[in-house]
Amino acid sequence: MMAWVESFSHALQSTRLSWAVAGGYPWIWPMCETLHFIGMGLLVGIVGILDLRMLGVAREIVPGPLERLIPWAIGGFILNLVTGFLFFAGDPFQYIHNTVFWLKLLFIVLAGLNALAFYVTGIARRVDALRPGEPAPPSAKFIAATSLVLWIGVIYWGRMLPFLGGAF
Amino acid sequence: MDVLRAIEDSGIGIWVRESGSLWSYPTIVFLHAVGLTFVAGVNAAVDLRLLGFAPRLPLASMRGLFPVMWVGFWINALSGIALLIADATTMMVSWVFWVKIAAIVLAVVTLARIRYVLYLDPNAVAAPGGHDTVPPRLKMLAAASLFLWFAAVTAGRLTAYLGAGAVAKGGH
Repeated sequence: MMAWVESFSHALQSTRLSWAVAGGYPWIWPMCETLHFIGMGLLVGIVGILDLRMLGVAREIVPGPLERLIPWAIGGFILNLVTGFLFFAGDPFQYIHNTVFWLKLLFIVLAGLNALAFYVTGIARRVDALRPGEPAPPSAKFIAATSLVLWIGVIYWGRMLPFLGGAF
Repeated sequence: MDVLRAIEDSGIGIWVRESGSLWSYPTIVFLHAVGLTFVAGVNAAVDLRLLGFAPRLPLASMRGLFPVMWVGFWINALSGIALLIADATTMMVSWVFWVKIAAIVLAVVTLARIRYVLYLDPNAVAAPGGHDTVPPRLKMLAAASLFLWFAAVTAGRLTAYLGAGAVAKGGH
């Protein structure tokens, strides 16, 4: 696995894309950082509202109609996938030997699995049917708390990249 | 400048900037990102609703999100002050930092205005029994709100790349 990551990183670093992100065009890195924060706000802001509602905050919100904003959260996620890949392409070797980077990826995968569990177990359908002020079932609360911890954890590992792992 | 130097070299300033503790600068910038999510991210969701997305979400039901946004705002005001103390001599003379502050002030004023039009006005848009239709002036406020938070986040990120902060930090 690690050997594959190493050779992929070598190949990636020799591309013109990598050169451009790493400083060939000095505006690309700051622009991607800015978009990465915008994507984070959209993704965790919107998913966070749904999580908080299930946990009893802003309980008048009806989850069904709120979920029409989920495409914006997915848009934020895609934005961050693209900009995140560009950071990686710019300097892969500062990430692949960095435990914090792998922890961030792990938390993203776990948050994705948690969201998948929300939909495939049918909990989402029960939450969608909640009336204003009606408490969410314990299973939904568990998924919501897990989601908040994982997404805030993703932000934590992302922010810790320069301090715990020496990346930027 | 002497005043800014004194602020920057205060106990708090030195601790945030130079202690090397995980609880100082790293944790404070982490909290600043979380606060951003809950003030600007949640506000963006409210703005999107007002601009016509998720149209079946009752406007009155969003009232409970305002305390969430205030929590995010105060996390960032406090963490922001700590970061400002640590870098007072560069940030206070950075034009892009003042663009960020101006955008935030306008965004908060806009949010207060949105709240007033939605819930407090004698002809409140989200009054019980209302039609939940968003008047054009409220859509304008929502669009302005989205733009202002986008500007605040952008200017905030760019304090490390433009103006006095770029020289001090050399990027990142």
